[in-house]
Order: sequence, then C-alpha cells, then structure tokens
Amino acid sequence: MQLIFNALIAGSLAALIAGGLSLVYGTLGVFNMALGQMVLFGGYITWFLHIQMEIPLLMSICGGALFGALLAWFTFEVFVNPFYKRHRFLPLVTTIALSMILDGLILIIFKSSPKGILQGLKNSVEIFGAIISTEQIALIAFTILILCSFAYVLHSTSIGRKIRAVVQHPQAAMSLGIRSPQLHRLIFISSGVLASFGGIFIGIDQNLSPVLGFPITIKAYAAIIAGGRGHFWGAIICAYLIALIEQLVVGIPLLPGGNYIPAGYQHSVALFFIIVFLIFKPTGLFCSRLRTA
Amino acid sequence: MNKLATIALFAIILSSCTGEPAGEEGADSTEPIKIGFIGPLTGDAAAFGSDAINGAKIAVEEINAEGGINGRQISIIAEDARCTGGDAVSAAQKLINIDKVDVIAGGQCSGETLAAAPVAEAAQIVIMSAVSSSPDITNAGDFVFRVYPSDALKGAALANYFDSKGYTKIAMISENTDFCIGVQNVISESTAKSGGEMVFNELVEPGTKDYRSLMTRLKDIDFDVFLVNSQSDSTGGAMVQQMRELGMENEIVGTDTLDSITLGQVMGEAMEGVKVLSVPSLSASDPKGGPFVQKFTEKYGNAQQSTFFAALSYESIRVLIDVMNKVGTDGPAMRDALYGHTGYDSIVGTITFDEFGDVEGIPYALKEFQDGELVEVERIPLN
Repeated sequence: MQLIFNALIAGSLAALIAGGLSLVYGTLGVFNMALGQMVLFGGYITWFLHIQMEIPLLMSICGGALFGALLAWFTFEVFVNPFYKRHRFLPLVTTIALSMILDGLILIIFKSSPKGILQGLKNSVEIFGAIISTEQIALIAFTILILCSFAYVLHSTSIGRKIRAVVQHPQAAMSLGIRSPQLHRLIFISSGVLASFGGIFIGIDQNLSPVLGFPITIKAYAAIIAGGRGHFWGAIICAYLIALIEQLVVGIPLLPGGNYIPAGYQHSVALFFIIVFLIFKPTGLFCSRLRTA
Repeated sequence: MNKLATIALFAIILSSCTGEPAGEEGADSTEPIKIGFIGPLTGDAAAFGSDAINGAKIAVEEINAEGGINGRQISIIAEDARCTGGDAVSAAQKLINIDKVDVIAGGQCSGETLAAAPVAEAAQIVIMSAVSSSPDITNAGDFVFRVYPSDALKGAALANYFDSKGYTKIAMISENTDFCIGVQNVISESTAKSGGEMVFNELVEPGTKDYRSLMTRLKDIDFDVFLVNSQSDSTGGAMVQQMRELGMENEIVGTDTLDSITLGQVMGEAMEGVKVLSVPSLSASDPKGGPFVQKFTEKYGNAQQSTFFAALSYESIRVLIDVMNKVGTDGPAMRDALYGHTGYDSIVGTITFDEFGDVEGIPYALKEFQDGELVEVERIPLN
C-alpha cells in the first residue's frame, strides 16, 4: 500500500510535466529540451517569493505559475516559433541551448545549495496502513484537479475541440478556419504552466537543486513516447505507470530467493519495460490511429 | 575562396590560442605563476565546489597583495569537473597542456581527484586536493597530496562511535560515486570487524531524490542506526526527510556531505538530532580561523556548504605557495619539499604529510543538528 502511495506521489509529479508536454509534442511536433529547466524555474521562483519575500504560499504558487507562463511564452517566441515551421527538429537544438542558459542562470541566481519551499517536517497521517503527509495528499489532489480541468477544457469546450482537431490533422483544421498558430502558442504556454506546477511540487515535496533539470526532461519524454504521440491521457497514465514500476522494482523482492533488484537499477528497469513494450507495440500504449510521424 | 578564408581565419585563431611561446622556466621570469583549480562548480556537488574555489581565491588574493612569490604574481585558472572523473581528466589535460599551470589544486570530489591524478603524475605536476577523502587516493600517486583525512580513518571513527553506543545493526544507503563507495567499503569492513552487521546496504544512482520505497522496505527491518552516505547535501537531506516522514525514529548518522549549514534551514525539524561525523566547523568566533571566516562572508556571503571546506582549500593553496616560495615551481622539487614539510601551522590544524601524501593533524568532530544549527558534540583526534 505504501508503495502505491509512493508511486502516486512520484507519478503525479511526472504526470503534471508529461501532460503539458504531450500536448506540445502532439500539436507542434517539437521537442522542448528546456522543459526540465522550466520546471526548476517555476519551483525556484515560488521558493524565492515564499521564503525570501515572505509572500503567502498560495500567492507565491500563483507567482511561480505566472512566471512559468511568461518563460514559456518567451521560449515560444524566441526559441520555437521562428524555427518549427521550417523543420520540426530545429527547436530541438535551440531549446537545448536554452536549457544550458537556464541551467547557468539557476546556478548564478539561486546558487547550488538545496532549497525547500515548505521548510520542516510534514504532518503525516496514516491511510490504509500507509503513511503519507497532508502536503502530499494536497499535491496529489491538486495534480488530479489540474489534470481533470485540462480534460474538461480538452473534451467539453470549443477550444478543446480545436486543439484535438489540430492534433489530428493540422492542415484540415486550418482549412476549417482554426487558427492553429494561436493555438500552438496557447498550448506551449499552458505546458509551461504545468511545468512550473511540477517544479513547485518538487520544491514542496523534496528540495530543489540545480541539476534536476535534465532527468526530469528525460522522464517526461519516456512517458509521452510510451503513451503514444499526442495522446494526453496516454502520457499521463504512462507517467504513473513508470513511477509505479520504479517503486515496485526497489520495493518488492523480484529476484529469486526473495532478493531485491539493486536500487541502482531502479530507473533502468523502468525504462527497459518501456523499451520492451514499444518493441511489441511501437505506436505506444494508446496509439492514435491518425499517427503521422 | 570563401571557404579558404574561413580556414585561414580559423588557423590564425588556433595559433593565437596555442602558439604562444611557452614561457621557459627561467628563474628570473616575471610571468605570473599559474595554479590550476579543478572542482565541481556546477552540478549536485557545486555547493562545496564553490566554497573551495572561493577559499582558494582568498588565498591567492592575499599572497598577491603581499607581493606574490619572489615578485611573481599568482593567477588561478578554474575548471569545472562537475564531480565526474571524465570531466576532471579533460580539465587536468587542458590545465597542464594548454594553460601550462605550475601546480593543480583539486579535484574536490574524490572521483575528480582519482581521475586527474594519473594525468598530473605523468606530467610531474603536484596535485593537491582540499576535500577529497576516498581511501584510494592514498595510493593514487607520488605527486598526489591532500589536506583532508582519508575515509579509512572515518570508518574506524564511526565504528568506535557505534561501539560506544552499542549499535550492531547498521543500515545504509549509498550513492554510486567514488566518494560514497569508498565510505561504503570502509564501513562494511569496520562493521564486520567489530562484530556488527549491515542489515540494509543499497547503492543508488547519483542524484536520486526519491527514497520512499527503499525507506518503506527499511521500515520492516530491525536496525539500530541509519547511515546517510550521500554525495551531496540535497540528496542526503532527501533521505533523512523521507525516512522521518515514514515515522522512523532511529538514530541517523551522516558523513561530511551532510555537514551543511543550509540543511538545518531547509529541512527544519527533519534534521533535528541527526549526527554528522566530519571535520570540525569553523565559526567567526574561532580564535584562529575567525578572521578568515569574516573575510569569506564579507566577500562571498555565507558559505554554500561549510566554511571549513573553504578554509581547507585556502590552506591547501597557502601550503603550495609556501613550498613554491622555498623551492620554486619545479614539480619534482615541490613534491619532495611537500613530503618533508612538517607541522605547517594553519587555521584548520597542523598540516603534515605522511609518506603517501595524506594529511596528518586534521581531526574529526561529531556534530549534531540542534534547532537547525550544527553543534559540535565531541572532537575526535586521529592517529
């Protein structure tokens, strides 16, 4: 039970980040390699507002998310928009450059010592024999709330229908009068907001340090590739799935004789599962029939 | 034609970089003496890397203000090795072959020092680490020195401490880095020797922050003490926090990397009562080290991890400069002088090198987090 909760905590974090990314990848077809750094910036700004400026937590979180939106907007206009129409792999290079710049900025501005948004020990409660802190429950609930509201927008509003149309066939959507460039910008910015929520999540649940960026990016991509291109729910489910596998690998004895797989292989085993899976179903767990690679 | 011009331009740039006539080692040279620095300036371990470089910079500034070494000023060239061996090798090669440094200060992570040592050894250049503690460095080479006590001694000190408390069942999580594996081996050996038992001994990928499932397993195990064997304070802090969140009250002991002034602030009561076996702290009220701490804080603000690390780096540079003052910048001559260099009085203790280039005279201290501050509980003399 504790393991499932552990997976929920880790998975919620991954799902927040992967959800926005899957929309970006699905509609724009571009890779944003600076995603992990955007995550960190959201967390660090919230830390700065809450701890340094002593602004109440909720407002700090809004500030962090707002900054995430601005950063994503800036990224889109400078590093993505001028390039992605020429070739969708160009932003791969420009955003790698951006990730390096942001990595450096984080080190210069926030220094390398670890930072925590909520300081001190959390109040733990026991549910079904598993121990979980109230903050973590709040984080999981918040993640699900955010994802559900995204789902609502995606499935029940006209903007959502337009987004899905652009995912399915950008040219056809354009010919029907959907202004996909505007939508692209909107989607990119909302992925930035989701990313900053991810950073705030890390800052509250663990602590922020400048090197987290790249591993976060890699995990989010693993989830969206496993989930199938442009499939919002696929990415989210796979984010939780990868987290669950990672927790099970170290949490239950999988080797004969009741031995545990050494913890150092935690991430490799999870990614190995994904690779094996993709061999049998290369379109991803929830393939969309209208895939165009 | 255009292509040719580009190539020509490139060639000119290249030659201006490397084609400088290498300053022949003349005694009357007035060129600055170059000290290369290798350390983690970015990455997870950057907290103590930046303390080390800042400490080294203060030493260099002081000597330059005093007129340098025989009228020659000193310059320091810093290279970032990000706590990895591969980057440390490139850094050492660049410093030796391109910058033509006279001596190298570094690396800071044990993995850096171990990787850079053969390069310096081959070039017959002295390499002096400020904070590397892996037992393997003892035999890393003739030109390899350090001012930090070897983890071989830490194993013994920890085993003594566990013995005195009656702890026999020891649990440990280690990061997969040279430093942590050194500690892991030493602890496993000393525990076996003193009749104890490692009831939980896991190795994780460097930088892991999620220890919840490992801690869930640990919860079902009967153990006396948990040893945090992390490469940095951010990962070690995560271990402590997630263990306490699961309600385990067992004693926690950490090594040098947990000796971090920011942890008490970031983790708050999670760190309360956690013990750290490390080198002593250095505060602004210390009679010997006080002025250095004040100077450091004035210039660079509070230390990222520990002023003691900065002070060690500062003193390691002072020792190098002291030796260069006596015998010049020739590598083998410096090496011989360092081996014969006994009882150098410093703000961190008396520095003497044994026949392996390991330091004698830097003690350990057992500290405890109390109200978010690290308080020294006990001084443990070595040797």
